[in-house]
Amino acid sequence: MCERCAVEKDIYLPRLATLEKKRLMNPTEMYLRLSIDDNEPFDFIPGQFVEVSIAGVGEAPITISSSPTQKGYFELVIRRTGNVTNAVHRMRIGDKIGIRGPLGKGTYPVEEAKGKNVVFICGGIGLVPQRSFINYVLDNRADYKELAVLLGTKCLSQRFFHSELDVWSHRNDIRFMETIDQTDDCWLGNVGVVTTLIPKIEKELESALVFICGPPVMYKFVLMALQEAEVPKERIFLNLERKMKCGVGKCGHCQINNYYACIDGPVFRYSDLRIAPEAI
Amino acid sequence: MDRPRVAIFDFACCEGCQLQIVNLEEELLDLIDNVEVVEWREAMSEQSREYDIAIIEGSITRPEDEKRLEIIRTRAKTLIALGACATIGGINKLKNNFEMSDVKKCVYGKSADMPHLETMPTKAVDEVVKVDYKIHGCPIDRKEFTYVIRCLLMGKKPEIPEWPVCVECKSKGNPCLWDYGQVCLGPIIRAGCGARCPSSGFRCFGCRGYIDDPNVNGAKDVIERYGLSVDALKAKMVLFGIGQGPTNA
Amino acid sequence: MRTVTIDKNAFRRFVDEIIKRQRVIGVCAKGDRFDFEQLESADQLRLDYDVTLQPPKKYFLPPVETLLTFEVGDGYKSVYDDTPFVLLGVHPYDMVALNQLDTLFTQDNYDTHYMKRRHNATIVACDVVSPSKNVFASSMGTATVKDGFDVLLTDIGNAFVMESGSKKGDRFIAKAQGAVDSSEKDLQARQKIQAENEKRLNNHKLKCEASYLPKLLERAYDHPVWEEKAKTCFSCGSCNLVCPTCYCFNVQDDVNWDFISGKRQRAWDGCLLDGFTKVAGEHEFRKKRADRFRHRLYRKCKYVPEKISSQIMSCVGCGRCVGACLPDIANPVKVYNRLVDDLGIK
Repeated sequence: MCERCAVEKDIYLPRLATLEKKRLMNPTEMYLRLSIDDNEPFDFIPGQFVEVSIAGVGEAPITISSSPTQKGYFELVIRRTGNVTNAVHRMRIGDKIGIRGPLGKGTYPVEEAKGKNVVFICGGIGLVPQRSFINYVLDNRADYKELAVLLGTKCLSQRFFHSELDVWSHRNDIRFMETIDQTDDCWLGNVGVVTTLIPKIEKELESALVFICGPPVMYKFVLMALQEAEVPKERIFLNLERKMKCGVGKCGHCQINNYYACIDGPVFRYSDLRIAPEAI
Repeated sequence: MDRPRVAIFDFACCEGCQLQIVNLEEELLDLIDNVEVVEWREAMSEQSREYDIAIIEGSITRPEDEKRLEIIRTRAKTLIALGACATIGGINKLKNNFEMSDVKKCVYGKSADMPHLETMPTKAVDEVVKVDYKIHGCPIDRKEFTYVIRCLLMGKKPEIPEWPVCVECKSKGNPCLWDYGQVCLGPIIRAGCGARCPSSGFRCFGCRGYIDDPNVNGAKDVIERYGLSVDALKAKMVLFGIGQGPTNA
Repeated sequence: MRTVTIDKNAFRRFVDEIIKRQRVIGVCAKGDRFDFEQLESADQLRLDYDVTLQPPKKYFLPPVETLLTFEVGDGYKSVYDDTPFVLLGVHPYDMVALNQLDTLFTQDNYDTHYMKRRHNATIVACDVVSPSKNVFASSMGTATVKDGFDVLLTDIGNAFVMESGSKKGDRFIAKAQGAVDSSEKDLQARQKIQAENEKRLNNHKLKCEASYLPKLLERAYDHPVWEEKAKTCFSCGSCNLVCPTCYCFNVQDDVNWDFISGKRQRAWDGCLLDGFTKVAGEHEFRKKRADRFRHRLYRKCKYVPEKISSQIMSCVGCGRCVGACLPDIANPVKVYNRLVDDLGIK
């Protein structure tokens, strides 16, 4: 056996984590709080993801939703869509869940954004991965200038993080705006898609870094709106979701032209995606 | 884990797929340890009116079969079509090429008009009721059957290949049978059999049915280049290919 | 590192000796074709073969491979295959392909499953004797190979020249009874064969330098050829599955009947297959056949070479996909030449 094989860890081998808390946030989204069982470090940068592994079912890539400023545990929010995510929804407090990661080298530019305005544009569940960096900014508020968060949700029943959003909307160091795609009698706020909010943050957009995450159809329209607002591509970052199996740059499923979403992303600078027409 | 109640029913078929279940040998014990078989004509005499999983073997060829199947569907939480007759109508669909009166005469001769011999064009199970899962093949693959059952017991959706037989055939290192003059249906037929026939030198007959999006243009092009006619290809597909959407043209 | 000459009878006895001691995989006849198989006797070995049905990658990345076993609630255990073996008769283009896979499986994240098999192997490459019908290794610069192998064999008529390429190769050669240091004449004979192979393994001729292809593809993304070719594509993945440099895989779990223990396996996959990019929400990122068809040819001669900073393309010119494609659209040279014709060399 070669020396390197003797020291290298198996990149496909999950560690165990314990499910500490779970809460159904809306009909499809489950909030989970996990802590790693072993004593090895679990340090991550906002934007990184983990492969959640359920023995006998499989793995699913999920971006960490909590901020690294919260120590001792991490949070995931998981939508019930496939085998793994359904199995996760059925897990009970104290159950063991396999975790690989943190993975992904394309993270939020935590350092580069310092001293700048930061704007987050989220479509529905796209809030979940962005929340890691949003809370990181809030926890290191002095390091960043204006902070704006725009959130568009399809319908009222899919809204989540109610109390957290409520806190954000009452803080004066964060500009939080929300809209619902379809009108609903119980909703008194903005109605329409998230792009309708973009003209309202002209001040915050100035020299800001802008972060986008949402369903695949959303990116094109948000980017058009940002182009209209004359935000240069170098200052726009996209958090992209793709099918992933291995999460470590081997299996090929998440490839976006030259890039692998799992190792080059999942967060990409828009100007780097010029050569990747498959991204949008 | 509560043992789910399973019932196995047969319609028009050779019962060969059920035989595959009986032939599970040691695994059969594992299976019945984990499920409660409440009805299975081929293996036991009891009958039941309540079950979690109904497994349907065979195709639907008589009006009274349709009614029976509809009743089963209302009683079952999950319904599985087992084997080619159930999933795609199978060989029984050959008769759909003829007038039903001729079919009856051919099979039953003078007795053809007797009322209990009423027949109709063959239907696959999903042409009558909603099917939750299909276990393809003529006969079914035992490994795939037990995999699907284990998945259901775990509350997991089984991963049935969406890709064609060529994937498994090439993975096994087989040369392409087209190079040896065989009209193999591998490129348009759903994998999962482990390319059993081509691996033994026999062309794929298509018993697992077409993949979701078979390329009809590709088929026409290949027929032309190999000097075949569309009718010649249809003749090769007749065994399992009748009445499946994409190739009706 | 030594270069020796061994006459063919002595070589056969040498192979039989190795077979007694360890697992030897070599090229054998399979019907009227050839493939790698475990040898029982040196007589089975056919180093005059044209091309094998499957590339040798399957000995390092098997079609189906267990990565882990697990016990629900109790964690996961890695599963490794630790049997040493000799792989006998790898053609230069396939050796180049393995060299690329080595880089891909160690770059960014180190794949211990692939690499343990790789380290357990002694690879004996051999220069091509009979060019296959569809080979175009000369066009791709892979008709001969300079590194990666432990031993390189060249058939010079009545004997083989054996060059060691590693310490493992040195040890291998040292055991060959009857091998003598190659004479200048033998080396010249070998040189002549290799020089000829660099030209003659070219049954489909690429109209540009292979190293120009990434640049060419920069301008070809919206070219009509992708749609035109893909019209008859079955999306059967045959081109992926026979390719010596395709390494995409799927991962699947299965449990035993106790519903506690089970295994996680990876199996070959293909980017041409429908569903390859489909996420759980049913959105499929490369839904069109033409997009998948284009992806493979971009991967071979742009994405992967750029990823590993290689001057050599990831299409090594073995020609297997050409023969495996029923609608005859997979031939990379035909596509690239069409692009050269239409877009020119700039």
